[in-house]
Amino acid sequence: MTQSTTESTQARIRASIEDERVLSLYLEGHWRLADLQGHFAFEQLINIPTGVTKAEIRQPPQSLDSAGALEIARLHRFLQQQGIELKLSGLQPQQQGLAALLIERNPPEKSEHPHQPGFLASIGLRVFGIGREMNAFLAFLGELAARGLPAVLAPWRIRWREVAGEIQAAGVRALGIVGLLSFLIGMVMAYQAGATLADFGANILIVNLVAIITLREMGPLITAIIVAGRTGSSYTAQIGTMKITEEVDALKAIGIPPFSMLILPKVIALMIVLPLLTLFANLMGLAGGALVAAQQFEVPVRIYIDRLPEVVDLTTLMLGLVKAPVFAITIALIGCMQGMRVSGSAAAVGRATTKSVVQAIFLVIVIDAVFSVAFNILGY
Amino acid sequence: MFMAEPVVRAENIHNCFGQSCVHQNLNLELPQGEIVALVGGSGTGKTVLIHTLTMLRSPTRGKVTLFGVDVGAAGEKTRLDLRRKIGLLFQGGALFTGMTVLENVMLPLREHTRVRGAWLEELAMSKILLGGLPASAAGKYPAELSGGMVKRAALARALALDPALLVLDEPTSGLDPIAAAAFDDLIRELVDSMGLTVLQVTHDLDSIWTGSDQVAFLARKKVLAMGPAAELAKRDEPELVAYFQGARSAHYAARSY
Repeated sequence: MTQSTTESTQARIRASIEDERVLSLYLEGHWRLADLQGHFAFEQLINIPTGVTKAEIRQPPQSLDSAGALEIARLHRFLQQQGIELKLSGLQPQQQGLAALLIERNPPEKSEHPHQPGFLASIGLRVFGIGREMNAFLAFLGELAARGLPAVLAPWRIRWREVAGEIQAAGVRALGIVGLLSFLIGMVMAYQAGATLADFGANILIVNLVAIITLREMGPLITAIIVAGRTGSSYTAQIGTMKITEEVDALKAIGIPPFSMLILPKVIALMIVLPLLTLFANLMGLAGGALVAAQQFEVPVRIYIDRLPEVVDLTTLMLGLVKAPVFAITIALIGCMQGMRVSGSAAAVGRATTKSVVQAIFLVIVIDAVFSVAFNILGY
Repeated sequence: MFMAEPVVRAENIHNCFGQSCVHQNLNLELPQGEIVALVGGSGTGKTVLIHTLTMLRSPTRGKVTLFGVDVGAAGEKTRLDLRRKIGLLFQGGALFTGMTVLENVMLPLREHTRVRGAWLEELAMSKILLGGLPASAAGKYPAELSGGMVKRAALARALALDPALLVLDEPTSGLDPIAAAAFDDLIRELVDSMGLTVLQVTHDLDSIWTGSDQVAFLARKKVLAMGPAAELAKRDEPELVAYFQGARSAHYAARSY
């Protein structure tokens, strides 16, 4: 076998007529991928007088790889179209085998490209895609109701071990990040409120502002958004990967409905965890506010705490907390739904995870707005 | 000429995971142009050995020489050049699931050659046909292929750069006997026409007895024996007796006497 040489000898083809009816071909140089300049334009390189019916290779190339053999296969086809038969006997024995293999399995001249939809069609496809997405979510919500209610009525059949695991993953391990971010947001709110209120000498009202906004909006919303990004995405990635590795099918085959094993425990766990996390976020937000109020705006912590019950009551707290289970169902369902809809590839898991986070955060904010409007109408 | 130089030479290879070693003082040489079957029971480290020989893992101790180059002493550039000479077919195919079959095969060509455009596509297509797939499979994603087609697509990708060494991890597992025999024939055809050297991990008795020139038998943490299947069947080490005189293998051995 020839090893690669330092000076590359360009692949060339030369044709001549030595016998009346036989085209003589000289394949010069190395016919290898590295030495080929692209496809040979045989129609320009070889002119064929009439009456020729055979072509023979008088000189084999110095070396041949499959790219070179592909050129011989193209030459074979080109000559065949002119009614000429190419004989391979002039090649070295191993080269003959390779060339014959490529001639036998010669790719078609043009590979057809998949049909691309036009502009209007792609708009239509997008619209239908959004419709299908909403439809899938409703169907999933329906499935949760249909399968979840019987499970709740027979709670001993719920897989509490899975629920406990999910509570630990989504709740306990999220305490740090939820607490820290809520604390920081409480601080920021106190700064912004204090700067304005101090001008009017109404420093004490910082407590009203921070407490009401934290309990009714910031606590539940920030917690839900963090959980959507942290836990919803992990649900999608986990279930999506299980879909691809056929683990979901394996569950079905063993006789365990994936819904009861994978989805219901997650929904239940998140419904338990999210209100608790929200409560914790509320506390940390109030603490952040208290710190800034005391340090910057001369509202001592003791007064801050004394004043809290006067400005907020249990209703304020409940108006915030009542949203948490709804957020929980939304986040868990979207995470699981996107996971179950994964099919095919590793890239699909990535796309589904992105979608899951975007949709969950979007819906959480929309639902929060709906709650605000509803509370307003109800007079809270 | 250095025809005598083996394509792969592994000397005194140790592969250890913590305290437990799967290979100790393992030696193996692959002669050029031959199909060598790597056999051995489960857990004897066949896949670990393949990964060691193809530079996917460094041995704990020992020396691997590929095409006359000491891998351990080679720089990044040399290692890359060596990699291009090795085609590897993974057990599960390991096709990139986000790409079509054609894109999978085009990837190494696009990365390592200056071939572009229609020529690139046609070259990749020729490899797909060479792997024994119909042209209609080129536009499909791995998820849309059957198990046998995945193996063939993975073979097409392994062949993309015209490797000198083809390493196959259980190429015929999961194939029906007819498809497995066709795969063996295809490998033989490629070896004869392209001058390939092949190392294949296999449990397929047909592949061992008729699809391979030599069998390397892994046991006692090393290559216990290497030679044509018929020769190994006559030896009297207990592991070899168990493997080659076992009920399923016995009639192959009987046929070869």
